[in-house]
Amino acid sequence: MATVKINGIELQVEDNTLILDAARKAGFEIPTFCYQADLMGIGSCRMCLVEIEGQKKLQPSCVTPVLHGMSINTETPTVMSARASMLEFLLANHAMDCPVCDKGGECELQDMVHKYGPRKGRHADAKFKFHEKDYALSPVIIKNSNRCVNCMKCVRVCREVVGRNVLTALNRGDHQEATSFMRTFLDCDHDGNCIEVCPVGCFMRLPYRYKTRPWDLKGVDTICTYCATGCRMVIEHRDGTVVRARAQMGVGINSETLCARGRFGYDIMNDDGRVKTPMIKKSRTGGLEPASWEEAIAFIKDNLATVDGEKLGGIISPRSTNEEAYLFQKLIRTIFKSPNIDSSVRFKADAVEGFVKATGMDEGGASIFDCMEADTVLIIGAHLSDENPVTDYIVRRISGSRRMNLIITSPRAMKLDSSASVVLRHLPATEGALLDAIILNLNADKIVGSEALTALKDTKLEAVLAEAGVDAETVKLISNKIAGSASVGIIAGTDFLRSPEGLPPLGLLRELLKATGKKLTVVPVLDRCNQRGVWEMGGHPNFGPGYSAVKAKGMGTEAMLDAAHSGGLEALYIAGADLVTLAEDEDFVKRALSKVGFLVVQDTFMTETARLANVVLPGVSTGEKDGMFTNQEGRAQVIKKLLPPPGKAKKDIDIIRAVGEAFERSFGPKNPALVLDEIRKEIGMYSEVSLTFKNKRNPDNELDNKAALVKGTHSDLKIGSWPRRHVAADPAFPFILTTGNQLFHSGRLSRRSEILTSLSKGAEVEISESDATALGLKAGDKVRVKGARYEAVVSLKTKKGSKPGVAFIAENYNEAPVNRFFKKGEGLPRVSITKAL
Amino acid sequence: MEKVLLKNYGKPDSHKIENYILSGGYKGLEAAVKLKPDSLIQLIKDSGLRGRGGAGFSTGLKWSFIPKDPTIPKFLCCNADEGEPGTFKDRGIIDHDPHLLIEGMIITSYAIGASNAYIYIRGEFVFGTNRLQVAIDEAYAKGYLGKNIMGSGFNLDMYIHRGFGAYICGEETALLESIEGYRAQPRKKPPFPALAGLYAKPTVINNVETLSCIPSIVEKGAEWFSKIGAPKSPGPKIYCVSGHVKKPGLYELPMGTTVRDLIFNHCGGMLHEGRALKAVIPGGVSAPLLTPKDLDTPLDFDSLAAKGSMLGSGAVIVMDQTTCMVKSAHIVTRFFSHESCGKCTPCRDGTPWLTRVLGRIEHGEGKPGDVELLESLCTNIFGRTFCPLGDGAVMALRGFVKNFRDEFQFHIDYKRCMVS
Amino acid sequence: MFSENARKELEAILKKYPNKRSAVMDALRVAQNEGAGHITKADMEEISRVLEMPANEVHAAATFYTMYRVNKPVGKYHIQVCANISCSLMGADHIIKHMENVLRIKTGETTPDSKYTLSTVECLGSCGTAPMMQVNDDYYENLDEKKIDELLGRLK
Ligand SMILES: Cc1cc2nc3c(=O)[nH]c(=O)nc-3n(C[C@H](O)[C@H](O)[C@H](O)COP(=O)(O)O)c2cc1C
Ligand code: SF4
Ligand code: FES
Repeated sequence: MATVKINGIELQVEDNTLILDAARKAGFEIPTFCYQADLMGIGSCRMCLVEIEGQKKLQPSCVTPVLHGMSINTETPTVMSARASMLEFLLANHAMDCPVCDKGGECELQDMVHKYGPRKGRHADAKFKFHEKDYALSPVIIKNSNRCVNCMKCVRVCREVVGRNVLTALNRGDHQEATSFMRTFLDCDHDGNCIEVCPVGCFMRLPYRYKTRPWDLKGVDTICTYCATGCRMVIEHRDGTVVRARAQMGVGINSETLCARGRFGYDIMNDDGRVKTPMIKKSRTGGLEPASWEEAIAFIKDNLATVDGEKLGGIISPRSTNEEAYLFQKLIRTIFKSPNIDSSVRFKADAVEGFVKATGMDEGGASIFDCMEADTVLIIGAHLSDENPVTDYIVRRISGSRRMNLIITSPRAMKLDSSASVVLRHLPATEGALLDAIILNLNADKIVGSEALTALKDTKLEAVLAEAGVDAETVKLISNKIAGSASVGIIAGTDFLRSPEGLPPLGLLRELLKATGKKLTVVPVLDRCNQRGVWEMGGHPNFGPGYSAVKAKGMGTEAMLDAAHSGGLEALYIAGADLVTLAEDEDFVKRALSKVGFLVVQDTFMTETARLANVVLPGVSTGEKDGMFTNQEGRAQVIKKLLPPPGKAKKDIDIIRAVGEAFERSFGPKNPALVLDEIRKEIGMYSEVSLTFKNKRNPDNELDNKAALVKGTHSDLKIGSWPRRHVAADPAFPFILTTGNQLFHSGRLSRRSEILTSLSKGAEVEISESDATALGLKAGDKVRVKGARYEAVVSLKTKKGSKPGVAFIAENYNEAPVNRFFKKGEGLPRVSITKAL
Repeated sequence: MEKVLLKNYGKPDSHKIENYILSGGYKGLEAAVKLKPDSLIQLIKDSGLRGRGGAGFSTGLKWSFIPKDPTIPKFLCCNADEGEPGTFKDRGIIDHDPHLLIEGMIITSYAIGASNAYIYIRGEFVFGTNRLQVAIDEAYAKGYLGKNIMGSGFNLDMYIHRGFGAYICGEETALLESIEGYRAQPRKKPPFPALAGLYAKPTVINNVETLSCIPSIVEKGAEWFSKIGAPKSPGPKIYCVSGHVKKPGLYELPMGTTVRDLIFNHCGGMLHEGRALKAVIPGGVSAPLLTPKDLDTPLDFDSLAAKGSMLGSGAVIVMDQTTCMVKSAHIVTRFFSHESCGKCTPCRDGTPWLTRVLGRIEHGEGKPGDVELLESLCTNIFGRTFCPLGDGAVMALRGFVKNFRDEFQFHIDYKRCMVS
Repeated sequence: MFSENARKELEAILKKYPNKRSAVMDALRVAQNEGAGHITKADMEEISRVLEMPANEVHAAATFYTMYRVNKPVGKYHIQVCANISCSLMGADHIIKHMENVLRIKTGETTPDSKYTLSTVECLGSCGTAPMMQVNDDYYENLDEKKIDELLGRLK
């Protein structure tokens, strides 16, 4: 600790505290441009100069740490005049076109001049102009360099946080311009974090251009719906049209960052193609017709009254709120007396149970920040950079600012690799074999722990290495790093759900690390915004709310579809999930759903699935309701309503309750607040979770609100046993096809965002650069991807450093639905790739 | 005084290694490798040698900051960026006596334990670059560079890194950025280069002239050196004289030679008979100018500092009575604005502003209050920039305005020059 | 694009440094020498590939240092007259005027036959022999009209 005096006030601060932070602690605000808590300090804008007694020159408080006994003055006439003079210099080189600037009204330069002067500008000469007209750097970024204050936050956030490094400053002196290579269009993540950190109107949102003035906007502070990272953001509308989503410095785990989906995917809320009225299909052969709510509910009641619970199922979207999910499972379980409920379409129910257990979700929330505090962090089964971009940013930023080992194991190369100390490429769906190999290395001499661990003794290291397609040395290196660490973090992703063979070894590794006394933090990585919350509300056939035991396991999505296919499912209530486009084997799903006796679909759009329904109930999208999400870490966060539902659409929670009430008047609770109370009462994990959020700008970047993490519980979930499936080699089909989300999309939902769609280049298959070279192909070529059951022509994307023999098609393309390559019950399909003529 | 730095300057084929050796070259190295690195560092400390690149920091002390741990790689960087207008001494050494520098660098590397040395030479010095490269190759061939130098077990590789037009690369941390392949913007200090310099490894950066002093100190002793010139900044010094004198050029003289002695004795007086001396810039354009009343000031670090100026690079620019001070100030300020790296606000946006104001005064478009504006801008820049370049611009301009304020005012009031 | 010779030169350059990026300044210089005295987008893209660094950072380096010319071809002889203080004291203005008259172009321009480009530069470190200028790689010092006329006669 150091004792310092700030403007005469004595206080104690940690050693190495920046003067800026010490001053803030003492209650004195120091203006800054180039400083940002989560970026490396550069001390260049000179706004933050302060006086240190005994030193001749003013010092930049944003990069100068306090020393014990220092006496610092932050508000003397010299300091104040230095501030005014810096602003005067910035204005001397500034376009001064506030009336036409999109930033007008929320510009840090404007605000600061207002606060600190100068009262009068003395610069009277012609200025250097970078360009006449603003120029676009991407479909979402437009630039006016004449307004730049050279804080370089754009360049730094792109390099240090986003990891793309596509912006740099060109030229020097007053001609210095932060921009792209040759000022051309960027090939980047288009996440607009450069815009977010820009204090002035230099980097701007292109879609937002000239749409409004900030004071005409109404907004709410809510949570992004595009992945389970759970980024906090403000969405804003003007006259009912959503025009902007933005992050807030120091707010949420994401602070100022969002990915392209979060920042630019808001336009789905303006999609006019919404279902706005209930629809019913009166006869087997007829089409869907508009109906009133009373008719629709009565129709449901008529058709479901006599259905046997065992032959009825419910599927709820992992994008629903906790309140909705809780009420929905209550409806299915208590009103319809059915055990058949699920919330995952793509993942097997038992795999989900195994995943929850293996990652320890039932043990309560695990903060990503705690995880990143570990000596070694292993990322496995997750393509963070594309699937959970902001988690990727957090990992990059923290790993770059402290000494630690970051280990990335995955089949495909990813942007985050450049931050890793070890990168290992393994074959798809072999996370299990790789983990076996690590465990065998860790446990070379003596096997500790349970029977299952001991049983591993018979596994041959060479065999698992070969299975995973990895080299012994790298695995040894990884194992040594883990062995040498007192604390270990594991970030485990959805590949474990797609190929659950990896779950038992993951469970064993956890057990082993705990047995050897290491501090362990496991963060599961999920791709749907409230997947975790919906599970924890009991949206699953194997467990009830709070992972509680169920009397008998019900059918999961897969089993329900099987039952439907064989004519054994009389009724199905799907709330918000587009089964047809998401489940493996699209044809099968269509056939199955058309055989369901009575299909209720509640959704916002007329999806492929909704077209097959007997009743369509128009629900609302995320910006039209209040509620709670639980992110992948187990952090409960509130979402807020921005706009009223369109037409006759109703809040989902009201629909679910109305359906329940049709069967039993007392069904409830009657309003969301009461549902929340019941959740807190019924689900121990949520009893104390804090939903209050510090919404004010938090300059210290204290992002980890631990009070929002759910508590642990006791569950008797099982990881289950998952025999390894082998994808047999086949010379005719040399590539193994894998899937997941691409950077600009999340499921098919985001396909409705015009902005996001403009960012992605259309359907692509990604293979390693070396494979492409060997095949005589290059990026951008049109190629034919051919599997046993389906083929598609897409463009080729190559990635340096990916595992050879692996192909990837994201699950988000309408024009190349990857699920058609898959066959239900089989492992990963094999494909060939040839140049399309 | 017996010449040390320019002793071979102008001799035929002085750049060749044979001639260098014949004139007693590489004797210093021979003596140095017999000493322990620590004693070498002590020797240089004792000699009182202060850096010739501008700041005048004790060279021995700078070396002593380098960590002793032999497992950490270390670097030596020779600063041959020579960008300060008026300065051409390093070029003189490189063109005429490259081995003097190379020998100095080998000894320095040995003292600090560096096994790689870079010479950062400004891009325009193509001739010198070629000379140096040939000389380095010669030194390798003779075993002064490479493995196990003179049987000492010490290894050293030496490379040239060419700048390509940026004065700021003379600033030591910008120089490091430049070698690493980045835009040459100064780094934040601490960490100082002695702990985390080139490639984040301990690094010493010394000027060409500084390094060229080393061989003779080793050969002739610290005491010999410390007795030359001014007691607190001893040694020989190369003065680069340009402007209105009869015989401009390089003059190696004891540190502390007075301005008068240099101009009127060594340089043969003013270029044009009958034109009086008006001003002298004593240490490169960053150094505030002196006027005739200061002619007896000794040209050394402390004496010039006492006069509110500085020795800087030792570039003495002489101006006679016909020189327009507004124009000169404009040229100098324009230089700084052109060379500003763009990192910090006051220098990036302040120096172009100064240049614009000076430009309009020079061209008869000055406005009442412009001199005061200049002064106020100087106040707002000075001491607030990230690196000394911005301060340099202000110091230079203040020198002009303070001493020749009436000339500026005349330009504004009468829209023409007072002297020409 | 780099010629075989240039590639060899680059290979030798890479040996000087512990990392590839440090060679960016030399690589740009080689590219500029190879290609009509200036650097193109394609050059920078190639350097970015060879040195495994982002193209934007190659571009950043190329525009920070004034001796690189990005997309700015110059004549066969690039004449750069020093206009800094010492040369100015010794008559640089006059030298520049004379040049402009003889070449019949303004400073900053290239003659129509693409033979000469005339520019001014900041101090070239040759102040004791002012006024001076640089033509391509060579220095010409103690200039006067006669010397310039002679020289231009030789530079064909
Ligand atoms: C803007 C600026 C330009 C400089 N230019 C040079 C230069 O051209 N040559 C030089 O040796 N030192 C120059 N210096 C000084 C160096 O930063 C550094 O102090 C010096 O090279 C150290 O060597 P020395 O201790 O041998 O003097 C410059 C400093 C600044 C701030
Ligand atoms: S004073 Fe600032 S802008 Fe000027 S050269 Fe130094 S760091 Fe760059
Ligand atoms: S905030 Fe400290 S220098 Fe910019």
